[in-house]
Amino acid sequence: MESLTQLAAGFAGLFTPVNFAVLVIGLVIGMLVAVLPGLTLVMGVVLALPFTYKMGVTPALILLTAMYTSGTYGGAITAILFRIPGEPMDVPLIWDGYPMARRGEAALALGWSLVAALFGGLVAAVVMVLLAKPVASIALSFSSPEFFAIVFFGLASVVTLSGASLVNSLISLCLGLLIATVGVDAIYGAERFAFGLPFLQDGVEFLLVMVGAYGIGEVLARLNTGFAASPRAEGAQARFRTSFPRLKEMLAMKATFARGTATGILVGIVPGAGATVSAFVAYGMESQYGRNGSALGTGAAEGIVAAKSAATASVGGAFVPLLTMGIPGSGATAIILAAFLLHGVQPGPQVFASSPELVNTVFASVFASVIGMCILGYFAIKPLCKVLDAPEAIVSAFVVVFCFVGAFAQRNNVSDLYVIAIFGVIGFLFERYRFPLAPLVLGTILGPLAESNFMTTMVSFNNDWTVFFTRPISGGILALSAAGLAWPVARAWLARRRKRKEAPNGQTQPS
Amino acid sequence: MLAAAGFFYWAAGRIDVDTGGRIGPAVWPKAIIAMLALLCVYEIVKRLASPSGFSATGIVSTAGPGSAAEGSAESEPGHPKKLAGGIALVAAYVFSAPSLGFFVSTALFLAIFPWVGGLRRPWLCAALGVAGSLALVVVFMRIAYISLPLGEGPFRAFSIALLRLLGVS
Repeated sequence: MESLTQLAAGFAGLFTPVNFAVLVIGLVIGMLVAVLPGLTLVMGVVLALPFTYKMGVTPALILLTAMYTSGTYGGAITAILFRIPGEPMDVPLIWDGYPMARRGEAALALGWSLVAALFGGLVAAVVMVLLAKPVASIALSFSSPEFFAIVFFGLASVVTLSGASLVNSLISLCLGLLIATVGVDAIYGAERFAFGLPFLQDGVEFLLVMVGAYGIGEVLARLNTGFAASPRAEGAQARFRTSFPRLKEMLAMKATFARGTATGILVGIVPGAGATVSAFVAYGMESQYGRNGSALGTGAAEGIVAAKSAATASVGGAFVPLLTMGIPGSGATAIILAAFLLHGVQPGPQVFASSPELVNTVFASVFASVIGMCILGYFAIKPLCKVLDAPEAIVSAFVVVFCFVGAFAQRNNVSDLYVIAIFGVIGFLFERYRFPLAPLVLGTILGPLAESNFMTTMVSFNNDWTVFFTRPISGGILALSAAGLAWPVARAWLARRRKRKEAPNGQTQPS
Repeated sequence: MLAAAGFFYWAAGRIDVDTGGRIGPAVWPKAIIAMLALLCVYEIVKRLASPSGFSATGIVSTAGPGSAAEGSAESEPGHPKKLAGGIALVAAYVFSAPSLGFFVSTALFLAIFPWVGGLRRPWLCAALGVAGSLALVVVFMRIAYISLPLGEGPFRAFSIALLRLLGVS
């Protein structure tokens, strides 16, 4: 009851004219930034930070929170319609949302995405309000071995899922992890694989790999197969209307909603692991434990629901350690922490006593942002779908330009443009020769996180690698990952054995 | 790929840092390269020993229509001339943008790329190039205040004049 009263006070603070206007602006900008390929929500929040200097602390936090929340949805639109993930967290949507779009169910795929985001976001917001302190204390017990295990689980899941060949998937993952090591090492400051080239000394940004491989690579692949005069010609009339799933269909998927949301909240609470890891882990879990898990990757709505509910749920989760301990749960909350500090407020247990109205307004802004994001997402789908009316050659040309801007705007570095062009060709070659792109991209995204936690563990525990297996949580997660990796091998082995057993029968029957 | 792995393993061996007995910065990349090399060796041996033998696949790949569609891509003849033209054009775009500036290079790209892709409507392509590039300049440089290449020499002067015309200081 006390929580409800506090939340009501937060809403009262939120719905003042200035704060509400800031909320709407934040939602629109967050959505726009996330829709534009290559412009990530983290980048958007960073770019918005200077605009908050002149604001009061409350509208500043409302603006950034709204951008963060709506940014977790906007990228789904480009991922589903164009196979260009606006955000790394939207990569799993490519595997199921895009195939749905290709078979004329773009509107339904977007509808599932919206419903999942709404459910995950609201449930996570409730959890954030009710269980902030207790859940944060659990996350506090996590250390680098547990973080490493969670990242390893995400990497193992993507290998288990993608590609025709497990070996090709693992090779793709290794290349991604290797790309992530290029540049100056974070612990010792040692230069690795830069070969004296200045632009390699800064490392290869995962964003460039993603924009190049998925954006330009896809355009080249389409160019090679021949552009359609208009995507409408591919029988995609249904793309141009918003279509929500029926209640019966949603209820049939309640376990998927619950798994995705729970995963998102839990992973969101883990500091450093935000929406991206949540989406990948939830997708991997759904593929392994979901009733329709084997269909994931072929255009199954469960894949969209798992990834999107987890990604949005991670927002509420990420706010828990930020507000209660001052520890950011994701990249975007790290910037929100900076906004707190810039305005002279130190988030942590004391902020609940010193500025309760501020905390309550942040809580309320998460609720309002989730709902506002869905309203915006609903109305934004239709005009965005109109882009598909244009001939594919024209749309593809604009996609390349957006990739160009997204890559350049991040660091204003011309060499980043060369990198996206190179990864565009690599992306095309990967597709052509059946090397899955997802492990490569995920390797570059999660590689630094995996390495830093691995190195921290080894340094902290005197090079004792057994600590990963002897600690119950990390050991359990790693065992789960190993089982996930072993499953395709065991299944192939069993299938071959069954085939061999059946072969003599097949031969004897005709005779 | 195996040769590349060998080269990178050698390069990783040259990372020389005093770690004071702790694990060094070369260990993580070396472990990845070793795994990459092992996978390559496994694949080579497997293909030599039994080209159609045991092969584990990801869960998604056996699931049906999606994987079947992807699998057919390799067997399609494709349009190698269009592809080569597209790659050349993307390369020309990213290399010329710093010299020509965003507006000019984007206008040229937006006009030529659809043509390479098969859109044989020259006036539409030309109009698309100019209008599209101008619209993008307005969105990114005037509204979003994103800094994009202005070009060099006369192209820089042209970009600055254009931005002044649009009210971008």
